[in-house]
Amino acid sequence: MSSKINHHHHHHRFNTQIFPPPCPHLAEFRARNGSKPFRALQDCLRVKPPGGRAAIRRDPSEVPRCGACGESARPRLYACLACAAISCHAPPGPSHAAAHATSMPPGHEIAVDVDRAEIFCCACRDQVYDRDFDAAVVLSQTATLKSATIQSAKPENLRKRRRVDYRPWSPDIRDRVLMETGSSPLENGSDLPRGLRGLNNLGNTCFMNSVLQALLHTPPLRNYFLSDRHNRYYCKKKNGVSNSNAGGKRNVGTADGHGNKNARLCLACDMDAMFSAVFSGDRTPYSPAKFLYSWWQHASNLASYEQQDAHEFFISMLDGIHENVEKDRHKPHSQGHGDCCIAHRVFSGILRSDVMCMACGFTSTTYDPCVDISLDLEPHQGGSSKSVSTKTHHSCNGEAGVSQTMSIRKLPLVSCFHIKRFEHSSIRKMSRKVDRYLQFPFSLDMTPYLSSSILRNRFGNRIFPFDGDEPDASNEMSSEFELFAVVTHTGKLDAGHYVTYLRLSNQWYKCDDAWVTQVNENIVRAAQGYMMFYVQKMLYYKASENRAVS
Amino acid sequence: MRNSVNRPPTPDAAEDPGKEPTLQEIINIKLIESGEKERLMELLRERLIECGWKDEMKALCRAFIKKKGRSNVTVDDLVHVITPKGRASIPDSIKAELLQRIRAFLVQAAV
Repeated sequence: MSSKINHHHHHHRFNTQIFPPPCPHLAEFRARNGSKPFRALQDCLRVKPPGGRAAIRRDPSEVPRCGACGESARPRLYACLACAAISCHAPPGPSHAAAHATSMPPGHEIAVDVDRAEIFCCACRDQVYDRDFDAAVVLSQTATLKSATIQSAKPENLRKRRRVDYRPWSPDIRDRVLMETGSSPLENGSDLPRGLRGLNNLGNTCFMNSVLQALLHTPPLRNYFLSDRHNRYYCKKKNGVSNSNAGGKRNVGTADGHGNKNARLCLACDMDAMFSAVFSGDRTPYSPAKFLYSWWQHASNLASYEQQDAHEFFISMLDGIHENVEKDRHKPHSQGHGDCCIAHRVFSGILRSDVMCMACGFTSTTYDPCVDISLDLEPHQGGSSKSVSTKTHHSCNGEAGVSQTMSIRKLPLVSCFHIKRFEHSSIRKMSRKVDRYLQFPFSLDMTPYLSSSILRNRFGNRIFPFDGDEPDASNEMSSEFELFAVVTHTGKLDAGHYVTYLRLSNQWYKCDDAWVTQVNENIVRAAQGYMMFYVQKMLYYKASENRAVS
Repeated sequence: MRNSVNRPPTPDAAEDPGKEPTLQEIINIKLIESGEKERLMELLRERLIECGWKDEMKALCRAFIKKKGRSNVTVDDLVHVITPKGRASIPDSIKAELLQRIRAFLVQAAV
């Protein structure tokens, strides 16, 4: 807390938050009285449970009236912080609040709105903001009377990257020549969009085909591989040379069937090969055998011809790409910023969890990265979410239990929603599939689920004393998502089939292993969604960093 | 606030002798004391959010601030600008609902 307020600073920064500077009257008031009047106000703060709305009342049943005209039905009534006189302020009519400020000796300019608990300068006729006052209000709203210490485990690399403006680019003569000599024209006259190609089923591999189809058309991922950001020839050459250093935990020395002991597992290379094949223009179904073999090596416990879970495959695949890319500069994913590999750059978001003790208001905030969001279809019986309520805050012995608020701190470029349709109950030693139909939107606005929205709903437009985050402007601008792929499951748990619906140029296509057909969007709406992929409607360019790209 | 020095004389609970409380004041006090006013306010808030009125007002404020410049706007300016628009754009259904509630309250409060 700053005891000396510098009038010349335009922006004050405290805990990296910007808030408006005080007007001269507020500054003088603070200098003269410190924060004593605000603490005294705390006794008069009445917080209503439904909305957490804070009001100022000397006793709960008080009906505030303007001291000058006796009116109580005014829209704005202000209580002077120096002498507690209540005055009305109803421009363009007479403002008894302003009159009070001028008629009294200096020091009576600052007042508080009795119905909204916001401070006002009657001389400047404008709302003013004070950290300590807002802190007092917020603390009341979290139902605590003693100062609460808040823990926050922020990821270290949560830096805000400067956004760059879009600068259009068109090729010059030299660029044109390069492009023309280095490329071959695509065949035109094809009705189907590019990159639409069936995938052969290699033996119950529809779980893999369905996820691959979705990933092949995930815009940021597709763009990454098609613009040669991971070149499989260069990658193999690089790893062939430094074979001795590539002593990873996988079986580097195993032969890949051709007696080549130097072959190194790289799922990204296999993805690159697949992208090239699928987008080549060839419409005959493609067999992702090499990819399957590589994935078996990565997830050896799942290597069989049995049907697997598509979501499990998805997670495993992202993990595989992460492990095998940038192995020598291994960056952990724990921060959630997505700088480690393309898989996390596309899918990684950050969840925020606030756990608050209902008795004393102690709140603990944690951030966790996530690559997808798993949703329950049915209320869980004795599942993981309910266990939160049995936890109690150990140091206050509150029996009130805890409440957990989840929100999204950072949205990923692509949101994957996984519907938990397969239940494996270890208690009952059985598994079952939940067939319940779930309606899903084609467009999704994630704004209400962001941390900034959820916290703002709880506390209003206050300066948070304990939330050191700047509201992330990038989140506010890019919270709109569009559905582009749906992986569906039909049939029973152990005898079922995965199919993917893709949305290309606002046209829906059904990808059923090797068979790709155009379908009406109502078919997709009626399908049993298992994994839904949404991409941000607008992608923003960030200032580039000088790092070599794999 | 309790130990302030320059405190004005406590206003009388009743007004100046000879001035009867108006009907409006009586109703207001009854509404507040019974807690009905708070409930009505919550209901009104909910309805205005549902129908998008709050978002409209927010957008109006933003546009006004953008036009005038952030440091040239006071809260009084904003109130002055959007009050007429706000009043005019409240859906009739909401007005009707609230009037109905107030009528019902008055009937049972026997005013």
